[in-house]
Amino acid sequence: MTKLFFATDIHGSDICWTKFLNAGKFYDVDVLILGGDMTGKAVVPVIHQGGKNYSITLLEQNFDVTTDEELQDMVKRVRSRGYYPYMTNPDEMAELEKDPERVHQIFLQEVLKVVQQWMDFADKKLDGTDMKVYCSPGNDDMDEVDEIVRASRRVLLVEGQVTPLDPHHEMIASGWSNRTPWDTHREEDEDQLEVRYEAMISKLKDPRNAVFNIHVPPYKSNLDEAPELDENLRPKMAGQALKPVGSTALRKVIENSQPLLGLHGHIHEGRGTSRIGKTLCINPGSMYEQGTLLGAIVALGKNKIENYVLTSG
Amino acid sequence: MSNLFVRKATGLVRSWSVMDAFVYAFFSINLITLGLYSFSQMYYFGGGLIPALIVSAIFIFFEVIVYAALIAVMPRSGGDYVWQSRILGGAIGFILAVTGWWFILWLWVPLYGDMFRHIVLVPLLGILGAQETALWFAGTQNGAFTSSLITLVIVSVFIALGMKTYARIQKFSFYGGMLGLLIVIVLLLTGSNEAFKAGLDSNATALFGAQPGVYDATVTLGTNAGAALPFTGGGIGLIFLTLPYLVFFNLWPNWGATLYGEVRGATDFKRNITGMGAALGVTTLLGILLLYAISKTIGWEFYVQAGGAWWNYAWGFSTDAPALPVWPYPALFAAFLSTSRVVQFIVIALMSLWWFGWSGTVFLSSTRVIFAAAFDRLLPEKVAEVDERTGTPINALLLMVIPSVLVAYLFAYNIASFQTFTLCSTLVIAVTFLGTTISAIVLPYTKPDLYKASPIAKYNVLGIPLITVSGVIFGGFLVFLLYQWILDPNALYGIGYSINEAGYKNGASLIYMGSMYVLAAIIYFGFKAYRKRGGIDMDKVQAEIPVE
Repeated sequence: MTKLFFATDIHGSDICWTKFLNAGKFYDVDVLILGGDMTGKAVVPVIHQGGKNYSITLLEQNFDVTTDEELQDMVKRVRSRGYYPYMTNPDEMAELEKDPERVHQIFLQEVLKVVQQWMDFADKKLDGTDMKVYCSPGNDDMDEVDEIVRASRRVLLVEGQVTPLDPHHEMIASGWSNRTPWDTHREEDEDQLEVRYEAMISKLKDPRNAVFNIHVPPYKSNLDEAPELDENLRPKMAGQALKPVGSTALRKVIENSQPLLGLHGHIHEGRGTSRIGKTLCINPGSMYEQGTLLGAIVALGKNKIENYVLTSG
Repeated sequence: MSNLFVRKATGLVRSWSVMDAFVYAFFSINLITLGLYSFSQMYYFGGGLIPALIVSAIFIFFEVIVYAALIAVMPRSGGDYVWQSRILGGAIGFILAVTGWWFILWLWVPLYGDMFRHIVLVPLLGILGAQETALWFAGTQNGAFTSSLITLVIVSVFIALGMKTYARIQKFSFYGGMLGLLIVIVLLLTGSNEAFKAGLDSNATALFGAQPGVYDATVTLGTNAGAALPFTGGGIGLIFLTLPYLVFFNLWPNWGATLYGEVRGATDFKRNITGMGAALGVTTLLGILLLYAISKTIGWEFYVQAGGAWWNYAWGFSTDAPALPVWPYPALFAAFLSTSRVVQFIVIALMSLWWFGWSGTVFLSSTRVIFAAAFDRLLPEKVAEVDERTGTPINALLLMVIPSVLVAYLFAYNIASFQTFTLCSTLVIAVTFLGTTISAIVLPYTKPDLYKASPIAKYNVLGIPLITVSGVIFGGFLVFLLYQWILDPNALYGIGYSINEAGYKNGASLIYMGSMYVLAAIIYFGFKAYRKRGGIDMDKVQAEIPVE
């Protein structure tokens, strides 16, 4: 029996990454799998005002920092939510206002810096253990992330691959999603997704004993319910109106292949489990901004799921 | 100057409409269903209803702050269940969530059913000329039970339609219901007491077969019932004693918006406060306006006496049947000011939307809690199954419907004094709210990092976190309510074990409520032990992973 821990959508949270690496020992599992969307969504400028004075606006609250300790504390607060603090000054801020390309470069630089720190930390922390860690960046992760993960000694990039988990179970993985209103880094049309999935499935020895680690949840699985948005990306009906936004291609291949397990994320509010035929699909959800690592422990038996539970760590 | 750079990433949405948030909170503290139902039952209280409305709204505003603050600190988490589980522990979180958001909703079903017959079925059937059927629904136990069964069917359909469709039904109901209320208020404000008396006598006789002289007979019966509720005044002590009954109506603005955008700041906190707070404020003001309009044309004393005449008989305190054989529904009274059956029908049909736009909430929260518990393996996986063809959570629905049928039966036929349990529906949820409020009070101290990195970290009152201050005020209010309900020192509420010699010692009510907590504890600890045998340590899966 192989016991795995799956978490996803940690979006730049140092706390969640550290918890993820600790989860193997904490939950006594054999394999750690991180679904997509490792990278954060916001850069918070830390504006130098001279001397030891800095001004920071975090979550629309203004903070004036006057000591090194306060600065460290603020940077920690910013990082705890998965945002990237960026040390700057009023002059550069004025320039950035007019230069979105430069902002993009800063974003990329900060994202990659943190991913590199994470890989270094994982390599150091897991040295001397036999814990296996698999990762497949998601639709929100820039392409440049892959190279850094690929260079890690302990974290294995499994995007687009068939990965043996044990003698009985193989895993396919992809962070690509169907189209979103945000035009993110790894998204494509459903027919292209189907080709992508089928290419991996065709290499599986036994699809019915496989794990489909696919970032986007299957369509109408109840793991893909997100607030319906209007044309301005404003939630309709105060967010009360939910609609399924998962992948129809994924649903189709799951219905046809009937793998043992589907591991999904993408929709942070979609925490839950669902059955599509015999396939158990799980979306553990995400609360990365609160530093809570939501996840799932699954015990894979021969031809069946021995046990599973959603976790809140 | 920008103080935050965000990139294009999944889930980054703009703020929702505060108006939309207002609509859902507004329907949760439903003036026409919950409000008029409870006002009519409060005929024997001595505190003025208008000041009681205002005082209760002030206390409940702190509830709005508590919930808006928790939503800001821990959004998208699953509400009371997760807040309490994370802060007070898994057992407390589970027991208080399933009792307050699931089990006690079984009792709400006959209450929804009772309001359905009084607000929708009976007046519409009467106006349509189906007098016998109307009276059967209004005055028989079979009618009450059937009304609950119809309610179950309607809310089950709402669940099957899904939240997206029901949200639209709610919004349509809001605008239609508001139009209906506007017509009612205009009719009452432009009518006269003489016209009302004449309209009541003629219509009650024609539509519901009442004997001539309904007005005077109702005054006599109501007076004999002890009708006393003043419009204003009554003294601060008596006003406070009115609150434990009144909150059956307005303790629920937190059932509205619970949304909080990703990478959003204090603005969303304020939007939640605005949405829920405005719902509370507007409902209170509308309530005052409607009661004033009732007072002007129907006459305050008559309105209270009519409530007394109806409930004194319904609760078995009198064998004198009310002269008006239907529940004294102010919208129906207003409609009687028109002689046109078409106008009467339109007014009542529009006012019915207050019930339809609200009733789906009885199962929506329950199914969410059942699903969350199943995902946490504290219930069997089967209960979270959704029928693939219809998208209906059939098993979760059955866990609501089957016990609700039983409770509705007990309520309709008043077995084991079930009709005295009305306020239990509020008490059990108030206990759940108290658990959440305690979580809010201690949050800045037990989860300082989480709190400090939240959008409400800078909101303080005299250096004390706003969430804590608001929690203490609202928590104190809840403790007051629980004390009054459970120990009932003035023998007013009838659901506890009154320490007043003349008070009601309602053992059945206490057993009913207590058994819910016992059942919840059995499920929690039973499943915990069962999962442990299967290799899952529930304490561990809910514990925080060390960060080192």
